[in-house]
Amino acid sequence: MPFLEFHHLTKRFPGALALNDVSFGIERGTCHALIGENGAGKSTLGKILAGVHTADRGEIRLDGRTVHPANPLVARQLGIAMVHQELAFCPNLSVAENLCLGDLPRGAFGWVDRAGLHDRACAMLAAIGSTIDPATLVGTLSTGQEQLVQIAAAVGTGARVIVMDEPTSSLSGGETRELFRLVRELKGRGITLIYVSHRMEEIFALCDAVTVLRDGCHVATESVAGTSPQRVVQQMIGRDLLVQNPRHLARSPDTELLRVEQLASPGRFSDISFRVHAGEIVGLAGLVGAGRSEVAQAVFGLDPQATGRVMAKGRELLPGSIHAALAAGLGLVPEDRKRQGLVLPLNCRENTSLAALPLLSRAGWVRRAAERDLVQRYAGRLRVKTPSLETIIASLSGGNQQKLALAKWLARDCDILIVDEPTRGIDVGAKAEIYQLLDELACEGKALLVISSELPELIGLCGRILVMRDGRLAGEVPRADFSEAALMRLMAGLAAA
Amino acid sequence: MPSPLRSALRFQESGLVLVILALGVLLTVFSGSVHTPVFAVGPEGGRQRVFTTNAAGEQVPATVERNKFLNAQNLAQLAKDTSFIAIMAVGMSLVIISGGIDLSVGAIYALASVLGAIVLNHFGPDGTAASVPPWLGVTLGAGTCVGVAALCGLINGGLIVALRVHPFIITLGAMAILRGLAFVVTKGQSIGGFPPAFREIVRYEVGNGLSLVPLGVMLVVTFVGAIYLSRLAAGRRVYAIGGNELAARFSGIRVERVKLGVYLLSGLAAGIAALLSLGYYGAATSGDGQGYELNVIAAAVVGGASLTGGRGTAPGAVLGALVIQLIGSGIVILGIDQNYSQIIIGSVVIAAVVLDNFNTWLARRRLARQAG
Repeated sequence: MPFLEFHHLTKRFPGALALNDVSFGIERGTCHALIGENGAGKSTLGKILAGVHTADRGEIRLDGRTVHPANPLVARQLGIAMVHQELAFCPNLSVAENLCLGDLPRGAFGWVDRAGLHDRACAMLAAIGSTIDPATLVGTLSTGQEQLVQIAAAVGTGARVIVMDEPTSSLSGGETRELFRLVRELKGRGITLIYVSHRMEEIFALCDAVTVLRDGCHVATESVAGTSPQRVVQQMIGRDLLVQNPRHLARSPDTELLRVEQLASPGRFSDISFRVHAGEIVGLAGLVGAGRSEVAQAVFGLDPQATGRVMAKGRELLPGSIHAALAAGLGLVPEDRKRQGLVLPLNCRENTSLAALPLLSRAGWVRRAAERDLVQRYAGRLRVKTPSLETIIASLSGGNQQKLALAKWLARDCDILIVDEPTRGIDVGAKAEIYQLLDELACEGKALLVISSELPELIGLCGRILVMRDGRLAGEVPRADFSEAALMRLMAGLAAA
Repeated sequence: MPSPLRSALRFQESGLVLVILALGVLLTVFSGSVHTPVFAVGPEGGRQRVFTTNAAGEQVPATVERNKFLNAQNLAQLAKDTSFIAIMAVGMSLVIISGGIDLSVGAIYALASVLGAIVLNHFGPDGTAASVPPWLGVTLGAGTCVGVAALCGLINGGLIVALRVHPFIITLGAMAILRGLAFVVTKGQSIGGFPPAFREIVRYEVGNGLSLVPLGVMLVVTFVGAIYLSRLAAGRRVYAIGGNELAARFSGIRVERVKLGVYLLSGLAAGIAALLSLGYYGAATSGDGQGYELNVIAAAVVGGASLTGGRGTAPGAVLGALVIQLIGSGIVILGIDQNYSQIIIGSVVIAAVVLDNFNTWLARRRLARQAG
């Protein structure tokens, strides 16, 4: 019987089924990979195990006993720990204080026993073969060192299962090797590791078994020896296409509207060059952390450190100036609509007209009739469902919010539109409507750059797809060569089959 | 429900109006009555006491029994006192809507008062430049007072934007610095002796001591503030920045410029209030406006401005000022110890915010239930 078993695990978030009846088992002392596309549910599964989320249905069995990790503390007591990517510790405290935070050694009068604290932290770090000084402030550690401290904390508190969520996404080569060495050693001590990643080469170098998730469903659990990277890619993909034959493809691309040359930003991306023509939808694909949104924001003038040239309609834009980008007819529908796209306390009308205010005002006065007309026109065209345009936008569904985030730039009459994750967290019906709208916009002669983590979306919609990996363009794929497998290989850096 | 009533209830500030009416009724009921002398305009023009004959046939001063709260004189004074706070509260609501805070309004008020007073004193009857025509002196004095206040606000805004320090810290520092400057330039002395024409304008009264100028200026400031916030593109930007600064930036709004503007306007409002007080009281000291920041912030917050930004209105701020002033006036009328006023105002602010949070929570729960 497996050491750790999931039985019919189901978790629903507002608007999305994150996990749908997932069942599989993990053997003791192995490193088990969880793989899947963005949004497949792999992080959710890890977080349920570690007590961050609770499942709606289903059960977890650990060592033959049914367990209920209701919160991270309970999970810890059960011997389940999670290594987070960020914000797991108090950065203003030392390594030793963080390691012993839940149970500080106390001396006379309840004072903290500094020597005892130091000794205990040293012992915990030594247990994983780390030489980090316990007196260092956590805030000054590198990401890799902080992960090691998290692992030390997990091992030191007697963890039997450690969940690692994308552990290598921000590690250097040396740190990655160090981590791999540690993972192998922990396996040897009988600790079970769950390795959430979508880096194929790491999984095949490190793990013993792999479970593939797709759209919240369990696809396969196989031993690494019994499968291959190609087979895993095939299992990850294969979702239905919502758009098949966009009409804009019938037209040949017109004049060049956007040209990006040698765009770079230190630590984010480098050497990015591409062009987008009128009447064209170009996709920008890549894994999380590949630098897609960073490129979009730099093109839009939101990155003051960006170097290189951005030309809109033949004119070069002042670098780092959003106002130059706006004047040239660029619009950006950002990735995170709640944080970057919308002003949630304001109503639908005020949100939609926000970017178009300079066009809608005369001598500083907002022309209210013109504003209402404009907002009504685009809200109508996008079929936004709202009780009234005076409704506070926070109360709308995600799909309608996203439509208004798009309408905001249509109201400004942009010719070049960058759309970052246009359908994140919205339902299927609204997705189809947004695809249709993007297609219509291209037919009207606008140039669109669409960034998405959902490959089927890009494959259905785009004329060609640019693929980014680790801050660089890894390639450009024309529509004739579109396949999820080929794109996924480019994104993950695998050789062609 | 008839539709005019329903639209009145839907009006954003209807809750505040109800609170004010309730406070008014309470004060009227519990304040009791006083006997006040009756005045009449005599044959020579001045006001004279009226005498009457009592039961014993003696001439005695006539008195009339009136409600302590609900009488023309008290209401006129309430209107005047509210005006000063309300004008500053309109400026403060701009800052709070933008997601900031201005703790320095009381100190700006003091510094603008004393610098304006020094200029006006020069042109006053005993001043060094008494021969200059009064209109010029008054203009220069008023310009100094309002200009200094606006400049202080601009410096606040400039430091907040340039140093990227939280407005709480910058304006807390400014509060101490400006108050100290006011003390240094006056050496702690009171400054008066303004051109009489100036005082006559500001103290112009009708009826039973109703000062029209502070009230009129307050109405104008409220109107301008309401128009700015609801009709101008600039006002829309203030709401956008307070509601979500990042989204505002992503929409091409020049966030720094808007922030500079709101602190400038807050300073300007404090300057206008200071100018009115110079005319009304005829003197200024460095201690003027002590603690005003509490009353002004309280007025804006009670009036519906949200300290997280993005919400609030100018008329709301004025009604908030009226609530604060009613409480202060009620304490005097009901004969409660003056020292309780701070305690009560502080409690009212906390209660207003807690109620507001509760309301937001209710609305969110209703939405969640609809979505679920």
